[in-house]
Amino acid sequence: MINYIIRRLLIIPMLLAGVTVLIFAMLSLLTPFERASLYVSDIPKRQGALELIIEKYGLDDPIPLQYWHWMVGQEDSETGEIKGGVLRGDLGWSKVGKGSVTEVIGRRLPATAELALWASIPMIGIGIWLGVLSAVNHNKLADQILRVFSIVGWSIPTFVFGLLVLMIFYAKLGWFPPERLSDWASQIVQSDSFTRYTQMNTIDALLNLRLDIFFDAVRHLVLPVTTLAYLNWAYMLRVTRSSMLDTLNQDYMTTARSKGLAEKVVVRRHAVPNALIPVVTVAALMMIGLLNGVVITETIFSYPGMGSFLAIAALSLDVVSVLGITLFSSFILVFGNLIADVLYGVIDPRIRLQ
Amino acid sequence: MKVMVRLLKNPTSLAGIILLLAYVVIALAAPVFAPIPPRSRDPYIIPRDGFTTEPKLPDEEHRFGTTEGQYDIYYGVIWGTRTAFRVGVVITGITVILGLLIGSLAGFYGRWVDEILMRITEVFQAFPFLLAAITLTSVLQTLYGRGEAGGISYLAQILAFLTFGHNPTKPVDPVQLQILTGMLAIIIFGWMTYARVIRGNILAVKEFEYALAARTIGASNMRILMRHLMPNAVFPVLVLASMDIGAYVLTFAALSFLGLGAQTGYADWGQMISFARNWIPSLAQYWHIVVYPGMAIVLFVLAWNLVGDALRDIMDPRLRGRGA
Repeated sequence: MINYIIRRLLIIPMLLAGVTVLIFAMLSLLTPFERASLYVSDIPKRQGALELIIEKYGLDDPIPLQYWHWMVGQEDSETGEIKGGVLRGDLGWSKVGKGSVTEVIGRRLPATAELALWASIPMIGIGIWLGVLSAVNHNKLADQILRVFSIVGWSIPTFVFGLLVLMIFYAKLGWFPPERLSDWASQIVQSDSFTRYTQMNTIDALLNLRLDIFFDAVRHLVLPVTTLAYLNWAYMLRVTRSSMLDTLNQDYMTTARSKGLAEKVVVRRHAVPNALIPVVTVAALMMIGLLNGVVITETIFSYPGMGSFLAIAALSLDVVSVLGITLFSSFILVFGNLIADVLYGVIDPRIRLQ
Repeated sequence: MKVMVRLLKNPTSLAGIILLLAYVVIALAAPVFAPIPPRSRDPYIIPRDGFTTEPKLPDEEHRFGTTEGQYDIYYGVIWGTRTAFRVGVVITGITVILGLLIGSLAGFYGRWVDEILMRITEVFQAFPFLLAAITLTSVLQTLYGRGEAGGISYLAQILAFLTFGHNPTKPVDPVQLQILTGMLAIIIFGWMTYARVIRGNILAVKEFEYALAARTIGASNMRILMRHLMPNAVFPVLVLASMDIGAYVLTFAALSFLGLGAQTGYADWGQMISFARNWIPSLAQYWHIVVYPGMAIVLFVLAWNLVGDALRDIMDPRLRGRGA
C-alpha cells in the first residue's frame, strides 16, 4: 500500500511542473509589451515607462530564464526584496479583482467550496441510487425511463438548465432567488456580531446559531446546487448502472442467491459494495465536472465565487487572473486525482499489487 | 452496412438519425427557411428590427420573437444550425486527427516516444477542460485583438479556411476570428482522450496472436499497421469520436454564452441565449429568449448522443446490451 501511494506521489511534482510550464507557455505567447501592461495596474501614459518595466522585470530575457523568475521570484534591484514567484504563492496582480490573484482566490474560494460541497451530496447520493435502481430493473420500464433521463440530462447544457430553473422557480414562482444571500442577511453576516469561521454561509450560520440566516443561505443554494448536480447525476447513473450489471452477473451473486438470501439482501450486501469500486474513480471525474460547472453555474446565478470571477476576468481579457485561477484549479484537480487513486487502492486490493 | 441497419432498427437511434437529418435539411436550406434580408453584408449576422432594449414576444412578423436589441430569434436559430455544424465538425475532425497522430505514434513506437507523449498528455489532462479553454481563448483574443499574432495567425488562417471556406490569402474577418479563437482553444485541450484510447488499443492489438503471427511470417510494419492495427484499434475509435460533435457544440456554446465565442448578433445558439442573462428577473415574461435557442441546442446535442449511444452498444460487443 505504502509503495502504491509513494508511486502516485512521485508523479505529482512532475505533473504540477508540467502544468506550470503549459500555463507559462500560454503567457509567453504575449509580447513583452503586452505582458508588461498586464502587470501594471494602469498602462502608464509616460513614454518609455513600459520599456522600463520590461527592463526591470526582464520580460525580454530568454524564455527559460523568465520561467525560472516567474516560478521562484525575482530580486528587486533597488530594494533587494524578492518579488513574485508562483512557488511563493504570488500569482500576479488581478486587474478585475483589484488585488493580488491569490487574495482574490482566497476571497472567492469559500463561496465556491460551499456550493461544491452541497452539490456533491445529491450528486453522489442520488446518482448512485438511480444507477442501482436502473441496474436492478434491467431492461424493465424503470430502467428505460432512467436511460432516457440520463441521455436527455446529458444533452442539456448547464446554462440552459440553469436559466430554465431560474425561469420557473425564481421569475415565475419566486421561491429560490439567485445570488448568495438576501440583503438583510448579508448585512447581518457582514456585521461584527456575526463571526465568520469558515466564510461558508451555511456553516457559519449554524455555528452562530442563526437559523434564519442558515435557511436564507440554503434558499439561495437550492437552484445552483441542483444545476451543478443534475449533469453529474446522469453520469453517475451510467457508471453505477454498468458496474452493477457487471457485478450482478458474477458467480458469487449466484452463490449468494442459491444460499437462499433474499434478493434485497443480495443486492445490498453483495452487489452494491462491489459495484461501487469503479464508481470511486469517477470521483476524480466529478471533480473536473464541478470545477468546470462552477464557471457557468455561478455566472448564471450571480453567485460570487471563483467561477463567476473567472468568467468576468476572461471577458475583460485579464489574462493574469485567468491564468492564476486555472493554475490553481489544475492543482486542485491533480490532488483530487491523487486522492481518488489512493482511495481506489485502499478499496480494491487488486490495484495495489500491480 | 450492418451497423447502419442496426441503427435504423433501434427506435432511439432512429429518432436520433431523423433529428440529425432534420438539422441537416435546416442547415442546407437556411436561406429558404429564413431568407437573407436585402442589403445584408453577411448572412450570419442576425437582422435587427430596430434597436429598443426590451425583447418582444413571438408574433406574426417574428415567429420566435426578438431578443434585447431586436435580433430576430427565428433567423438566428435557423442560421445558427449552420454555425453549429461548422464548429462541431471542424473541432471534432481536428481533435480526432491530433489524437490519432499522437496516440498512434506513442502506441506504435513505444518506449521513450510513448513515455514522453503520454506524460505530455497527462499534463494537458491535468487542466479542467472548460477552464483551460476559457483561459486559452482569452489569451488568444488578447493576441489577435492587438493585431499581431505571429505564427499563430497561420493557424487561424487554416482554421478559417476549414470552417468558413475563407480564402487563405486574405486576412480573416474579425467576426470570424473571435469564433476561431474559441475553436482553437477547444481543439488544443480536446485531443487527449482520443490519443489515450488509440494508444491503448494499439498496444493491446499488437499483443494479440494475429498481429504476432503476421510479424512472425515477416509482414512489414506498414502492412501490420494497415491490415491489423487500423481496422481493429483505430477505426472504431474514429466512428465513435464522430459522435462527439454534439459535445463540442455544447462546449462552444458555453464559451459563446460567457461572451468568449461568437460575437453579439452572430447566428450562434450560445450567443443568443447569453442575451437572457440580463433578463433573469423577467424570464417568466420573456421565456422565448431562453426556450427557442435552448431547444435548438438541446435537440441537436440529444440527436448526436442518441446515435452515439446506440453506436457504442453496437461497436463494442463487450458492452452490448448494457448501454454503458
